Amino acid sequence: MKLFRKLPGYANIWSWLSLMIVVLILMPNITILLNFFTEKAENWGHIQEFILPDLLKNTSLLMVFTGVLSILIGTSLAWLVSAYDFPMKRFFKWALILPLAIPPYIAGYTYNGILNYTGVIQTTLRNQWGIEVDQKYFDILTLPGAVFIFTLFLFPYVYTITRAFLANQSASIVENARLLGRNAWEVYFRIVLPISRGAIVGGVSLVLLEVLNDYGLVQYFGVPTFSTAIFQTWFGMNDLTSAIKLSATLMFIVFGILILEKVLRGRKKYSYASAKVRPLTPVRLKGVKAWTAFSYAFVIFSLGFLIPFIQLVDWMFLTFDKIASPEFTSLLTNSLLVSFVGAAMIVVFAVIIANFARMHQSIVSKSAARVTILGYSIPGAVIAVGISTVFIQIDQWLFGFYDWVGMDPTLVLSTSLFMLISAYVIRFLAIGYNSIESGFDKVGHQFTEASRMLGMNVTQTFFKVDARMIRGSLISGFILAFIEILKELPLTLILRPFNFDTLSTKAFQYASDEQIHEASLASIIIVIISGIAIYIFHQVLEKEPN
Amino acid sequence: MKKWFLLSLVLLLSILAACGNTEDSEEQADSTTDQEETEQSGESTESENEEAATEKIGGEVNLYTGRHYETDQELYDTFTEQTGVKVNVIKGDDDELIARLAREGEASQADLLITADAGRLYRAQSQDLLQSVDSDVLNENVPENLREENGQWFGLTKRARIIAYNKETVNAEDIQTYMDLTKDEFQDKVLIRSSSNIYNQSLLASMIALEGEEKAKEWAEGIVDNMARDPKGGDRDQAKAVVAGEGDVAVMNTYYLGKLINSEDPEEVKVGEQLGVIFPNQDSTGAHVNISGIGMTASSKNNEQAQALMEFLTTEEAQKQFAEANYEYPVNPNVEASELLQSWGEFKAQDINLAELGENNDAAIKIMNEVGWK
Amino acid sequence: MYIQIKDLCFRYGNSKMNTIRNFNLSVNQGQIVSILGESGSGKSTILRLLCGLETPSQGVISIGGKTVTDDRSFVLPEKRGIGMVFQDYALFPHMTVAENIQFGLKGFGRKAKKQRVEEVLDLVNMKDFSKRYPHELSGGQQQRIALARALAPKPSLLLLDEPFSNLDADLQIKIRSELRDIIKKTGITSIFVTHDREDSKAIADRIITMRDGSAYDWDSICTIKSEFPEEQPMTIS
Repeated sequence: MKLFRKLPGYANIWSWLSLMIVVLILMPNITILLNFFTEKAENWGHIQEFILPDLLKNTSLLMVFTGVLSILIGTSLAWLVSAYDFPMKRFFKWALILPLAIPPYIAGYTYNGILNYTGVIQTTLRNQWGIEVDQKYFDILTLPGAVFIFTLFLFPYVYTITRAFLANQSASIVENARLLGRNAWEVYFRIVLPISRGAIVGGVSLVLLEVLNDYGLVQYFGVPTFSTAIFQTWFGMNDLTSAIKLSATLMFIVFGILILEKVLRGRKKYSYASAKVRPLTPVRLKGVKAWTAFSYAFVIFSLGFLIPFIQLVDWMFLTFDKIASPEFTSLLTNSLLVSFVGAAMIVVFAVIIANFARMHQSIVSKSAARVTILGYSIPGAVIAVGISTVFIQIDQWLFGFYDWVGMDPTLVLSTSLFMLISAYVIRFLAIGYNSIESGFDKVGHQFTEASRMLGMNVTQTFFKVDARMIRGSLISGFILAFIEILKELPLTLILRPFNFDTLSTKAFQYASDEQIHEASLASIIIVIISGIAIYIFHQVLEKEPN
Repeated sequence: MKKWFLLSLVLLLSILAACGNTEDSEEQADSTTDQEETEQSGESTESENEEAATEKIGGEVNLYTGRHYETDQELYDTFTEQTGVKVNVIKGDDDELIARLAREGEASQADLLITADAGRLYRAQSQDLLQSVDSDVLNENVPENLREENGQWFGLTKRARIIAYNKETVNAEDIQTYMDLTKDEFQDKVLIRSSSNIYNQSLLASMIALEGEEKAKEWAEGIVDNMARDPKGGDRDQAKAVVAGEGDVAVMNTYYLGKLINSEDPEEVKVGEQLGVIFPNQDSTGAHVNISGIGMTASSKNNEQAQALMEFLTTEEAQKQFAEANYEYPVNPNVEASELLQSWGEFKAQDINLAELGENNDAAIKIMNEVGWK
Repeated sequence: MYIQIKDLCFRYGNSKMNTIRNFNLSVNQGQIVSILGESGSGKSTILRLLCGLETPSQGVISIGGKTVTDDRSFVLPEKRGIGMVFQDYALFPHMTVAENIQFGLKGFGRKAKKQRVEEVLDLVNMKDFSKRYPHELSGGQQQRIALARALAPKPSLLLLDEPFSNLDADLQIKIRSELRDIIKKTGITSIFVTHDREDSKAIADRIITMRDGSAYDWDSICTIKSEFPEEQPMTIS
């Protein structure tokens, strides 16, 4: 009986589309998991004995240290920038997001290029002053080195989310604490950190998922983690089942993180939806304090962006004549094309699911929302296999149809850009979704309800009211997804159609062959485009009315 | 802030402008009717190999390749000019390309598979992804031990995995075999990259093939004992570490050393020049040699074009280009290696069928895991 | 009876108890009814159920002789033709006053739209404010615009959720009588929810008190006082 009452509310296009999207996301994952039951894992015992302990050790060390350090750097900078005025603060506000523009594996190669024996530091010491140094102190290809790179190039996730929270939500609490005579350090540790817990946890879980997913950096740095082990068992030992078992173990960890996030965040949201918000008024720092703040921000900015960027530019000039070719124009167009279309689809899909989820506070809609994170939690190469399996299957079903319309019955969908873009959508839906969900959170339900009381249905309401009100979130979701796709590697590499190269495959083509100098041109273009996108992202956030 | 934005925009645009300065690339890629252009390349090719050079076949051929070198693309372009066959390429990781091929099965559009390792070709073969090609041209151009006996795959280039040593600290006499790397005097002196690297896997696989698993494991244990540091980085990084004094000897592929010596970065050139080359096991089994090679896929729908491209890549013209540009050894015995490679001298290579590298790959990985080779 | 609510039950997804328990109510056409209750008594939920923003687990609601909810059917909120003034007004911040009011005027011609906007603005004495944005208005002005917006499409029923809770005390008294006048002028059936007895007394034709999800109909004020003690611990809202 209750069904009849509920049905009219569900019977709209949002529900149907959400259902379709959920199926689209689940299919590749299910194909992978099906293998889990059909095949026997011959090497699992071997893996458990010789590989797993090391994996767990490395993975947990990486996660703990990267997690803690990104929280410290991310929140302290967010606090500094929100609560104080110091020289060049307006610049740092957005420049501190820039490290996200450099993919960690490129950063890793670049830093090794700077620090190693033929790098600029050692070369200068050696040739100018005749100083031979102990390699120990310049060796970045270590676990601590990997933590260093991950922290520097991923902390902006924590920084951005925490800053947005502090800027808008914390004014009265913080001002009260100041009035009660607490000094700056006490305010930071006893007020700022605890109240922004939700935002911090949200940001750091993105950092950790990126760490778990990384292949390029850990492989080059010789720090085996789950993703390298999955590759090795799958391809090296040709044992898909063990690889899937490893993936499943990894997914287990990921779900652990996600549950932990839920628990830690408790029932708090990133923002207190309808509370009256008042921006925090920054305190002007003077003298030594001002310059200390400046130096701190500048050091992090230099390490996370300026230094590697300059090095890449230097290498670009070194190899420009050899590398630059008209081909780069088409690389750029290709990259922009897939990033643009992919990000647009992500925003559309994320909006559909987010809108569905907030209209119906039911288990169905909640699970739909959770499904969006699936793609983000599994290594890219594993998703790639799942997706292409599904598309090849669809193609085979469609052979009759292709024949009927007079085409050769060959693989059409699974050799098209369509498959690649679907893969991006599945992989990065979570990024768009998080941004849009928080937008909806901020707006709340009242305007939607008001519109419906004035005779607009769900879809009309969305276009006339909701979409306008969450415009900032839509744009920032788009930009974040755009940057991720631009940098994306494993999916692009394996799912692209014939003769289709992008900037990131080009960069990888050289980097994988140890030609980091030659990789610099493609990398720089990626960094510049991402940098511009980040700048726009920042402007959007700044203009966003509360 | 605006300034930064503008600055980066200008930088981006100027890079693009510089890239676009030369003529449009689209035309080069799409050249099914490039008859005029054949004249330019004609002079260098006609004399070498009639079969591939003169005939106009037309159509297209689809290639999955694990080799990512610029020179390869140039060779495909030349092939297109000569034959009118358009070459469509997907570049990727060897392993992933094979996995993709397997999933696509019969319907796959790929006609050819190129990998940078014989073990991978063997894997594709053992999954029935390749088909036999019977071509006199190929059989003549590629020596018997560098191709599969039934013509499932053919080598295109070969590289030796050699020992590079610091000329100042090491006496070449002391280190003549792979086994010497495990000697006590090289305690904490050996630099070699991680076990996830296919070249190391194949090296160990070749030892299993030649001397049995037990001996191979002993060697791997010895290597781990003698490592100067945890394995990390690429082959080039091992070479740099030797010159930097972290160790004395490094195991690396020949072409990486070639690239170091010819780097744009003068510091890298210095590194390359300080290293000596040893071809190991010259008095016994020979130096470990691996190939990059090509096979026709079982699902190929453009057999004629595919075979033409295979044949073209083994011609003297193409082989010369492989040799010069990438410091690899040509497989075609009529083509000489580059000057640099010749300066390192002739060497004796392992006398095993390369398929064995693939067969023993699993065992090699397991041994490496067991002895704690990271 | 213009509005009939029979045996209505409702429970929020995350609570164990029914928020609304066998709620019954009939309202005559043109009546102004006040639902009086403390926080958590379920009074706002009744409004949300009436207008279709929540779905009851059982019970029947009919408005103007048309059944909008029973075991078999459910009319979506936008199809019910009910006007609502929200507690915090929910004026669309990206639209001017005129645009806000026009929003609900689907199917009106351009001229008719303009005319209707003027009419309702006149009704609430806000004629000169049509070009303003909501954030440029005071609380009382915003409330009048919200009322105008709700009335513009000529709904068959007007719901008001705590209409005075966001106003200063003296403003509240002034607007009370104004509000009653406006509503009476249009003759529309209205239900409004409040926690303030004075509000109820000033505006309503009839007062319903709610406690623990059920309704008690009272007509005399003295009984309310004894049955509705002033200080009670707050429950979850």
